[in-house]
Amino acid sequence: MKNLLLFLAAALLAVPPLAASAQNAEAGKAKAAACAACHGADGNSPAATFPILAGQAQRYIYLQLKDYKEGRRKNPLMSPMAANLSKQDMLDLAAWFASQKTKPTGFVPDAAKAAKGKTIADAALCPMCHLGGFSGQNEVPKVAGQYQEYILAQLKAFKTRQRTNDAGNMTAVVRSLSDEDLDDLSHYIAGLY
Amino acid sequence: MKNMSSLTRLSACLIAAGFSAGVIAGEISGQSTTTGKPMSKNLVSVTQQLLNASAGDKNHWLHPNGSYEQTRFYPASQIYTGNVSKLRPAFIFQTAVTESMETAPLVVNGVMFLTTSYNHVYALDAVTGEEFWHYKHKMGPVTTYCCGPNNRGVAAYNDMLYMGTLDAKLVALDAKTGSIVWETEIADPEKGYSETMAPTVVDGKVLIGTNGGEYGIRGFVKAFDAKTGNLLWTFNTIPEKGHEGVWAKADATGRDMKRNIANEKKLLADNGGDFYQTLGGGVWMTPAVDLATRTVYFVAGNPSPDLYGDIRPGDNLYTDSIIAVDLDSGIYKSHFQYVAHDVWDLDAVSPPIITTAKGKDGKDRKVVIHGGKTGHVYVHDAKTLELIRFSEAMIPQENMWVLPTPEGARMLPGANGGVEWSPMAVNPGLRMAYAANLHQPMTYHVEEAGYPGGDKLWLGGAFKVIAGEKQWGRLAAVNIDTGKLAWKADTDQPLMGGALATGGNLVFTGEGNGAFNAYDARSGKKLWSFNVGAGANSPPISYTVNGKQYIGVAAGGNTQLDFKRGNSYVVFTLP
Repeated sequence: MKNLLLFLAAALLAVPPLAASAQNAEAGKAKAAACAACHGADGNSPAATFPILAGQAQRYIYLQLKDYKEGRRKNPLMSPMAANLSKQDMLDLAAWFASQKTKPTGFVPDAAKAAKGKTIADAALCPMCHLGGFSGQNEVPKVAGQYQEYILAQLKAFKTRQRTNDAGNMTAVVRSLSDEDLDDLSHYIAGLY
Repeated sequence: MKNMSSLTRLSACLIAAGFSAGVIAGEISGQSTTTGKPMSKNLVSVTQQLLNASAGDKNHWLHPNGSYEQTRFYPASQIYTGNVSKLRPAFIFQTAVTESMETAPLVVNGVMFLTTSYNHVYALDAVTGEEFWHYKHKMGPVTTYCCGPNNRGVAAYNDMLYMGTLDAKLVALDAKTGSIVWETEIADPEKGYSETMAPTVVDGKVLIGTNGGEYGIRGFVKAFDAKTGNLLWTFNTIPEKGHEGVWAKADATGRDMKRNIANEKKLLADNGGDFYQTLGGGVWMTPAVDLATRTVYFVAGNPSPDLYGDIRPGDNLYTDSIIAVDLDSGIYKSHFQYVAHDVWDLDAVSPPIITTAKGKDGKDRKVVIHGGKTGHVYVHDAKTLELIRFSEAMIPQENMWVLPTPEGARMLPGANGGVEWSPMAVNPGLRMAYAANLHQPMTYHVEEAGYPGGDKLWLGGAFKVIAGEKQWGRLAAVNIDTGKLAWKADTDQPLMGGALATGGNLVFTGEGNGAFNAYDARSGKKLWSFNVGAGANSPPISYTVNGKQYIGVAAGGNTQLDFKRGNSYVVFTLP
């Protein structure tokens, strides 16, 4: 939704009504104090180990938190963090991080790798779900501007089925890609800002 | 993406300050706005009589596909093969939304009703392009949809307009003012339901299907009372019992689908058939209506998940099927399934068309035709839906039906078709159907995956195009009496958007590179082309005002094929 509003805002230079979401975001800001050490106060995490949440699709953040809480996605740091969150907590946190602006990571892609990565992305039909520019929508994450190392780690985790909360979609996409392909992809996507 | 927080604050300030004039009021959603120009006095009530007569109507364009029969044949011939080369833009209407446009507007006595992605509606003067009002749907917090935030148009009935929304609502608007009259929830968007199709209205009933075959929905067509929004009936495209069907081994064309039926039977016996609730069968496009027999025809799409079949043993009725139900009760009349137990997403999407063609006995009869993602045009007896014939393949087929593998198996056509959602057009005099086809070589990948809860895309695998293999499009003309291809016109890019046929023996279709083309309906010779500046991926329309014929197409590009986006509607006429 936030994504949609962002889109409309950009398209119209206008002011969509955000009352309900804005409230969530305010509540989420307070609750996000516990997240700041790793993800940064505004969701722009300081280290590539931790994903940037600023500007991420609200729905995606919510669903990932829910998956951590309910055990469909596992991580030694995140699983305990999410275990005690209420639905409202998760919605508020998602609203907060989604409302923040992604800051550039400073990553400079290898031009040759990024060019190959674009070819791979087009062939794998990534834009059909992630949209052109990997800006994400609804439950499909924004990946543009994410840390290259984090993108690569997730692609590999899908390939080896260490991460399985994708309903099989991502595993199916990356299974037949080589590690070099994945590296190329990560350079391409991380360079999209 | 940028400046969100400042916009949020600005929004809060302005709303708090009660800012309601001019441009600010213009952007509050859930309401109509105007630019100060009062609605044209020409706007008339869209009576049932007008709707019934639309197939022969040389003035209005009252249905997204031209008529209840959905031939997309506009009978006027002022613009014809001999003068089409002189077509020039009459006006360009710019909407506020730069995103995929798969929409076909309606034109009621010179007033156009146009929709965009994210459910905006505009009323404009169909001669000058001046805006009367602009409605923005107030989107709910959750939307779940595949293949772009599209909307394919409104239905008009009496003094109202009807639109399905991405958050699975049905809204009724006052055609004169754009004000909302009522709104009702069609289904739960958190379970993967969404609306992009244009509804159709008959005798006070608004008929609408649902998207969601990529999310594990249970598909349907519903009828709502046009006055009140009350639900009148529901036809579920997945029956609770009997969805395993007849264990068909071959597809509609007789080719073996390589099913392991013994294993499927065992899986059904072991695990039961409760998966009917998540078996898919979305209805993406507007139904056709036969008023004489009070029959509604539509096609149902793929089973969920798209590529992983073991979780849903059986034929998966009525997915990948054409279906006929009773207009007044929604009760099943007949069906015909093209692909049983589909694991390729080569389903049925393009809206069915009621027309006349020769039966097996060589005599004319009423038929219903459908252009499949398989690349065939199927011709059915309208009464029984028995398959009379299928056309020769309009695009290359290869390795059908190889089963998807984890590493990917190559098969043609690719999963977008053939004919995707793009509506076909028919020239009844020439007995030809015109179909916009894609050629996208793909590999099909399967991945075991359980139902993820309705809130996540659930494909059970993936399709990928093959890097380095050329993709292209083909406008194919099929003789519906014989099934033979009469001609084909190839294009650089895969075609998506659909066709319009006219009494001037013309066929119009657009390309993703912006080229909007006119062809000779008899020979396929390209007679005219104009670049509209963004993907011309919407079904073209035609209408006449004050004795002057117009042709319109949207230049909005396409999400699914990632064609260049735009925000405009472009209308052409003769100088």
